[in-house]
Amino acid sequence: MIEFEALKAQTLDEAVNILDDKENEAKIVAGGTDLLVSIHNESEELKGLNYILDISSVKGLEIIEDNEDYLKLGALCTHSEIIDSVLINEKLPILRKAAQTIGSTQIRNRGTVGGNINNSSPAADLITPLIALGAAVVLHSSNGKRELPLSEFITGPYQNSRKENEILTAVKVPYLPTDYYNNYQKVQRRQAVAIARINLTVLTNIEKNKFKDIRIAFGSATPTAIRFSEIESELENTNINQIDYDKIQEKTGQEMIDITGERWSTPYKKPVVGNLLKRALQEIIKEVQ
Amino acid sequence: MQEVNVTLTVNQKKYEVTVEPDERLLDTLRDRLNLTGVKEGCSIGECGACTVILDGKAVNSCMVYTFQIDGSEVLTVEGLETNGTLDPLQEAFIDHQAVQCGFCTPGMLMSAKALLNENPNPDRDEIKTAIEGNLCRCTGYQQIIEAIESAANQDRSE
Repeated sequence: MIEFEALKAQTLDEAVNILDDKENEAKIVAGGTDLLVSIHNESEELKGLNYILDISSVKGLEIIEDNEDYLKLGALCTHSEIIDSVLINEKLPILRKAAQTIGSTQIRNRGTVGGNINNSSPAADLITPLIALGAAVVLHSSNGKRELPLSEFITGPYQNSRKENEILTAVKVPYLPTDYYNNYQKVQRRQAVAIARINLTVLTNIEKNKFKDIRIAFGSATPTAIRFSEIESELENTNINQIDYDKIQEKTGQEMIDITGERWSTPYKKPVVGNLLKRALQEIIKEVQ
Repeated sequence: MQEVNVTLTVNQKKYEVTVEPDERLLDTLRDRLNLTGVKEGCSIGECGACTVILDGKAVNSCMVYTFQIDGSEVLTVEGLETNGTLDPLQEAFIDHQAVQCGFCTPGMLMSAKALLNENPNPDRDEIKTAIEGNLCRCTGYQQIIEAIESAANQDRSE
């Protein structure tokens, strides 16, 4: 059984001071939808855990803030709050689409953006769109704050560069022009309470029937969610009515293998990533027409 | 382990409890407050049997530590009844035979109650979304969905 002391912070200052004190011995909890499962399963990674620091009451971390060219999402925003946000629905609807696929109503009511990013699962539903959008994370410690791109923050499956004395406080998401098309796809074992086998975000502008600034990010196909830059270049400036889907599907599968190498799941995932991209592109094209 | 003092309002009654750090809301409700309508199923947030309404939102009480929610308001299935009268939602479950073994029922009712509190006129898809985190192995869900629909309709005609 994992035993720990409970700590609760009301302010960010209090929280970072506690982390300084208890370095390497404390885990942060907010919604608890990942941590309580790990504790229940007596996960190996929790060795050395002596304290759990609850930050769910820390003021200022629950914000959804509209800035001129970016949205600032506080780490404590729940998936339900993302879904209900009029601002997000209007300016970054891809985040809403992704959040709707997470867990169940109960999990979406507790699980947070900060937790989803910090857990750094390759299958995390919010990370794929955030990578495509070029989001940055904000971290605070007693030494101050630092910001870095999400794509650099996540270093591997369930791994990131957060230091033990830091708290992820927010994610900054650059706005897209509202005429961009967006599409989210998720392959899962059943329709609810399921973790993505593969997920996909496609964002693109379309000018004179051609893809412009197309961004394609896959989750759970590679060790961390990543943009598939080769297939993006292949599609950039392509006429939406002249797509060679066979070629695109083959190349998408190949790009995944180039990044990941051959794995036990490759025979399944290679055709599926291509099919999923085809489905996303066809849905976007249908919207255009 | 240092125990923690927590104040909770459960089914409109105020409680002051002293809890272990690793005590889940589920444990506090069942073992300290004797509210055994809250069921423990999977313990990892997948079955919804432990669903309660926490500050207005349906949550899995197996995924919340009690020490986290000092000052919060909790509603369990025991709180649906007022002065010996069942909630219209409970009546609807009986009328539509939406119960077989009954193990999922308290959680199912709380998910449905949270939905109707926020959205008194849900469509079928919204009902399905509200209960997607509640597993039922007996009914096949049809009767449950119909019960929730009829309770919603009843609210409308009142």
